Amino acid sequence: MVVINFIIQNILTQSAIIIALIALLGLVLQKKSFGTVLTGTFKTLLGFEVLSAGSTVITASLTYFGKIFQHAFHLNGVVPSIEAINGQAMNTLGLGNEIAFTFLGIFIVNIIIARFSPWKYIFLTGQALLWMSTMTVVGGKICGFNTVVTVVLGSIIGGIFAVAMPALAQPFVRKITGNDAIALGHFCTVGYLFEAGAAWIFGERGENKHSVEDIKLPKALEFMQDTYLSVAVVMVPLYLITAAFAGPKWAGVGTTNYMVESFLQAVQFVVGVYVLLAGVRLLLGEIVPAFRGIAMKLVPDAKPALDCPVLFPYSPNAVILGFVTTTIGTVIGMFLMPVMGLAVILPGMLTNFFAGGTAGIFGNVVGGRRGAIIGGVLHGLFITLLPALLVVALQSLGFVNASATDSDTIVAALMYAFIFAPILKAI
Amino acid sequence: MNKKLKIYFICGNGLGSSLACQMVVEDVLSKEKIEADLEHESISSAPGLRTDIIVSAENFKMQFEKFEMDPEIHFVFLHNIVSENEIKEKLIPVIKELSE
Repeated sequence: MVVINFIIQNILTQSAIIIALIALLGLVLQKKSFGTVLTGTFKTLLGFEVLSAGSTVITASLTYFGKIFQHAFHLNGVVPSIEAINGQAMNTLGLGNEIAFTFLGIFIVNIIIARFSPWKYIFLTGQALLWMSTMTVVGGKICGFNTVVTVVLGSIIGGIFAVAMPALAQPFVRKITGNDAIALGHFCTVGYLFEAGAAWIFGERGENKHSVEDIKLPKALEFMQDTYLSVAVVMVPLYLITAAFAGPKWAGVGTTNYMVESFLQAVQFVVGVYVLLAGVRLLLGEIVPAFRGIAMKLVPDAKPALDCPVLFPYSPNAVILGFVTTTIGTVIGMFLMPVMGLAVILPGMLTNFFAGGTAGIFGNVVGGRRGAIIGGVLHGLFITLLPALLVVALQSLGFVNASATDSDTIVAALMYAFIFAPILKAI
Repeated sequence: MNKKLKIYFICGNGLGSSLACQMVVEDVLSKEKIEADLEHESISSAPGLRTDIIVSAENFKMQFEKFEMDPEIHFVFLHNIVSENEIKEKLIPVIKELSE
């Protein structure tokens, strides 16, 4: 008993070890060599610890930013960053185990659905699955579920999303790529469909439809593909302006000048994102290929659903236009949310680039230039509204100055907050 | 084959599409019975990389031209980064050339 208790209390409650064991299982099932199993398992363990380190850096920077924003504008400024939410959930709130098991559960449910239904999609974008497991676990906590219910329900809901979202996007992806070989596995699909719908209503049709790809866009914007640079381009001015309004009393730390301090803190935010994503890369580098190997054996005619940049080479102009228009939409949204009585959601540049760029491709293929422009701005408003709706629930759980991005994961969490929780209360 | 080549796959974050590409290349290489070291990274970390081959999507070509990359590195840019045919067509000849 003593031994079992020790294992349960000291080993199975350590999220890093749980995740490493999941990788170990995947590698052993694939009959990899002993050396590969050992290094793969260790890399996964290392990845989790690197992720935690990045999360600590992000949280420290966001805590500083929240404080100066409060004193500068007497408003609550929220940074939308699924990376920050994941980091805080895994570490500060200690939900790492539930997230790891839900991650595994989503894999399993995904394979079962793909095996026995006509929708043969296998979701292979590891980080998106990690964000989805995070948000379903957060949803479970909003409802006050115990660990088992949180993991089982999260796995089922996540698994359904993992098949349904690529299936819903496929008619558009077929049009974009001209064939049926690629499927899109990225949990911002609700936003893409929203932009496609807006582009259909407001865009060009028939003979008047002109693709964005026929015009030349300034090459200067290409550096935005370097996502850490594009995050810095926004975060640094954001911190500096806020610090200027807050003044030396709140923004200064020790003897460091307050403007210098805010500049360094903004850089720290980017550092945190960089480190956290490097951790995610280590964490998933072994698990995703293992999952793919297993899934392809169990579902012979499976169609892998992949990360959104696989579509970028098909429509590079639409990516840049989608990024710019979505950013305009999120800036308008930032001013609009407090008017509606919601929290101030600052523009989230990582998601503006990836989700905005992909949404731009959808808008362009449905409604041409005008569709991509109007649809893009509306997409920006849409992805600002979603995290704003979630802020109250997140803060009641103890999240610091951050909200989620990635529309599908928010929709999943909102289902918990606005459908499951009220039903539970009524019973 | 004399030496094991190192191949890096690059995308914006170094998370999703580079890994997707890497997995397809792994399949192609094992069919061709070629052994190589495969890694994936973000574009931010690309300058200063030491490797034999870099594989990336066409939309990153401009960025690599701006970096001062090691002239020894061979580049392969793909239109569809998960197409086995395109990989066979563009990457395999480079590998064969380098391993001779």
